[in-house]
Amino acid sequence: MKKPFLKIRDLKYEYIRRDEENNVEGITTAVDGVSLDVEPGEFIAILGHNGSGKSTLAKHINAILFPAEGEVQVDGMNTKDSGKLLAIRQAAGMVFQNPDNQIIGQVVDEDVAFGPENMGIPTKEIAERVEESLKAVDMWDYRNASPNKLSGGQKQRVSIASVIAMHPKCIVLDEPTAMLDPRGRYEVIRAARALNEVENITIILITHYMEEVIHADRVFVMDKGKVCMSGTPREIFSRVEELEALRLTVPQVSALAWKLKKAGLKLPDGILSREELLKALKDKELTKKKKSGAAGEGRTQRAESEAVDPKNCRLIADHLVYVYNKGTPQEKRALDDLSFVLRPGEMVGLIGHTGSGKSTLVQHLNALLKPESGTIYFEGSDVFEKDYDRKALRGKVGLVFQYPEHQLFEETVFSEVTYGPKNMGMDRKAAELSAYAAIKRVGLPDECFDQSPFDLSGGQKRRVAIASVLAMKPEILVLDEPTAGLDPAGRSELLSMIRELKEKEGITILLVSHSMDDVAEMADRILVMDRGRLVYDDVPQEVFSHAKELEEMGLAAPEVCYVLRDLAAAGIPVDTTPITLDEAARSIREAYQ
Amino acid sequence: MIRDITLGQYYPGDSVMHRLDPRTKLLGTLVYLISLFLFTNSYVFVVAALFLGTCIVLSKVPLRHMLKGLKPVIFLLLFTAAMNLFFTKGTVLVSFWKIQITREGLLQAISMGTRLILLILGSNLMTLTTTPTRLTAGMEHLMKPLKLFFVPVHEIAMMMSIALRFIPILLEETDRIMKAQLARGADFESGNLLRRAKSMVPVLVPLFVSAFRRANDLAMAMEARCYHGGKGRTQYRPLRYKGRDLAAYVLLLLYFAAVIVSGKWLPGIADPWVKEMLETAKGLSVSMSETY
Repeated sequence: MKKPFLKIRDLKYEYIRRDEENNVEGITTAVDGVSLDVEPGEFIAILGHNGSGKSTLAKHINAILFPAEGEVQVDGMNTKDSGKLLAIRQAAGMVFQNPDNQIIGQVVDEDVAFGPENMGIPTKEIAERVEESLKAVDMWDYRNASPNKLSGGQKQRVSIASVIAMHPKCIVLDEPTAMLDPRGRYEVIRAARALNEVENITIILITHYMEEVIHADRVFVMDKGKVCMSGTPREIFSRVEELEALRLTVPQVSALAWKLKKAGLKLPDGILSREELLKALKDKELTKKKKSGAAGEGRTQRAESEAVDPKNCRLIADHLVYVYNKGTPQEKRALDDLSFVLRPGEMVGLIGHTGSGKSTLVQHLNALLKPESGTIYFEGSDVFEKDYDRKALRGKVGLVFQYPEHQLFEETVFSEVTYGPKNMGMDRKAAELSAYAAIKRVGLPDECFDQSPFDLSGGQKRRVAIASVLAMKPEILVLDEPTAGLDPAGRSELLSMIRELKEKEGITILLVSHSMDDVAEMADRILVMDRGRLVYDDVPQEVFSHAKELEEMGLAAPEVCYVLRDLAAAGIPVDTTPITLDEAARSIREAYQ
Repeated sequence: MIRDITLGQYYPGDSVMHRLDPRTKLLGTLVYLISLFLFTNSYVFVVAALFLGTCIVLSKVPLRHMLKGLKPVIFLLLFTAAMNLFFTKGTVLVSFWKIQITREGLLQAISMGTRLILLILGSNLMTLTTTPTRLTAGMEHLMKPLKLFFVPVHEIAMMMSIALRFIPILLEETDRIMKAQLARGADFESGNLLRRAKSMVPVLVPLFVSAFRRANDLAMAMEARCYHGGKGRTQYRPLRYKGRDLAAYVLLLLYFAAVIVSGKWLPGIADPWVKEMLETAKGLSVSMSETY
């Protein structure tokens, strides 16, 4: 038996909160009695909802935190041995969540050199290490670039290179993809897998994106500071209900297989990939007669976008053009002749990869940015007219920015939420009533009202921020990536709250998202942007039937669409129009009944 | 977009001036600045202008780009010139209303103006041809002797380079927070000064919170990569003097000698108005020493 690289025994760690007089206010046990071994060269994934203690555990491996009880041994060295501190940090490198906050150098190659410099490596060897590490993550061409000009995925790859340059035996990645778009996530995970396979570096990946875990050798699931499940991805993902109880989900394909199984289809446990599902389904007896050309039938009606009646539109974007850095070499057309409408009570999804102009567009809708040409009409009036009341407009078209919790500033949740309505000129009583309703609406408990927003959990902070916009009583609510960084349960809770806003309050919603699954589940209509242009404006089924075109734009259709298409191609008579999990499960089940 | 602001004003290029060691350029600039203030006679300015002109040509930075650097200080320049022009006593040349322009004032204004222009162009040339990183490295090296006096030289340099890295990020963040608060109906433009200052609270609090969070994250990331202060650190791109630096130092020395020669001995054979100016300057220095 090989000697384990990492040996954790009965690890316990507590965060002690103190008040201003340094008295102990409360103790949170973040890690509670964890024991685990990791063999050299393994790919380990640690799953868990926000606050389950997985990040705290990770920081022990790198000797950034030290155990309150128990011990951690890295490559045979105890982290309590202060003489071994640097050797441990060199052996187990760490990549953190926020791409901006871990790059020290002003130029990419300088950042990669930072670690070796600290270790006292001779100059000549540093240059060699910088080159080999940047090449390993495919970032050598960017060696002279400023980190500020890179995308999130590229920044994270630089951070990985910076760790590799220290020649570690193990890399701990602490939610490296939480702040990235799908393309960035793919880049980072691919780099990590390559290091594991080619260089045999032990990888410990912490994440709550289930799709990233399926290639791991072993998976640990954490809850309340304890490891509560462990096994291969196949074993873990066949226990769907247990995972759901732990605020987690399974990859969409596994979920589909599980639903089919529950509906009576005999399928093997823990299906992880499209290919596996296809293989399992192909061998089944069909009850229905095979019919050719099942695909393409039963298409839902197209959106009636041709005949726009201005009276039925709440907001009209009319030929918007916006140019960044006009007249400089960096001139960029962020919006290129873009027109669409929002009708009352609609839920519209807006998708496009990073840099396609989504964020620029949403800032036009409430007149934070002024277009180069074209305009926005809100309820029939041009919002860029000289004496139009744009402040009032911002109350009517509420905009929730990405990571809105970063805008909180008040001492209590309640005063935070009254800030908006007060700015809108409501008197105190009306503002407070509106704030009260908004806080209730987003589902925060009563105890929160007088708490500092900074003391709340991440998901709760986000709700406060959304409430602070809702309290202005908007008719249109624009949400830019509202679920970014939340764990699976947090995501679905927030989405169902947003759905309620539409259904119960009749608020028109524009949902900007990277997640095709979310948009497929939620939206009545989808707008697709690519390089400043509006490519599609149609019902979801229609948009997602253009899977190939979407892929060329760095997007994709929901996973289930591909499954259905594969099945249809294999001659199984399934309806290929569904885009959500439930519909897809029904479609497959019907084919087999 | 705020993101595209480049800090400092580096003008990318590969000229001799660009390739000089940052220490050479820092010391050179220092010597140049001192040379401008050593003497007050106009020959010195001619020598200094020639020297700077040569450097600018060598740097291959377009002259127009160089002159753009004067824009932000144009007010200071005019103000200094005007002060000298109107408030120097001596032989009256022109007089209208309560204002007198004297011969000495005119000379003084011209000499102060020239001096300021040369000074700004000179220091701009350094920042235009040196990246902030190299500049920081150069400063760290030159300040090394201060370590004897317990000045934390390495830490200061590290702080400077971290600041250079994070200022663009924080600027972008400010922009984002301001927009987020505008979307909540904030108004940063109307009202009196107090009201406007108060309206910035919703921007400043989140900005500070974020700055502290980033500082915390960064400290952890640095520790995770074995950072433990300047001790035992090696360098990826150590500063090394090359032949051209030696040449530059020789030229600098020659320049300084020329300044001293022209400043000290040339007035003896110069035309009378230079002499007169020298006397004015003497008078000024006397009056200055009286005031202080």
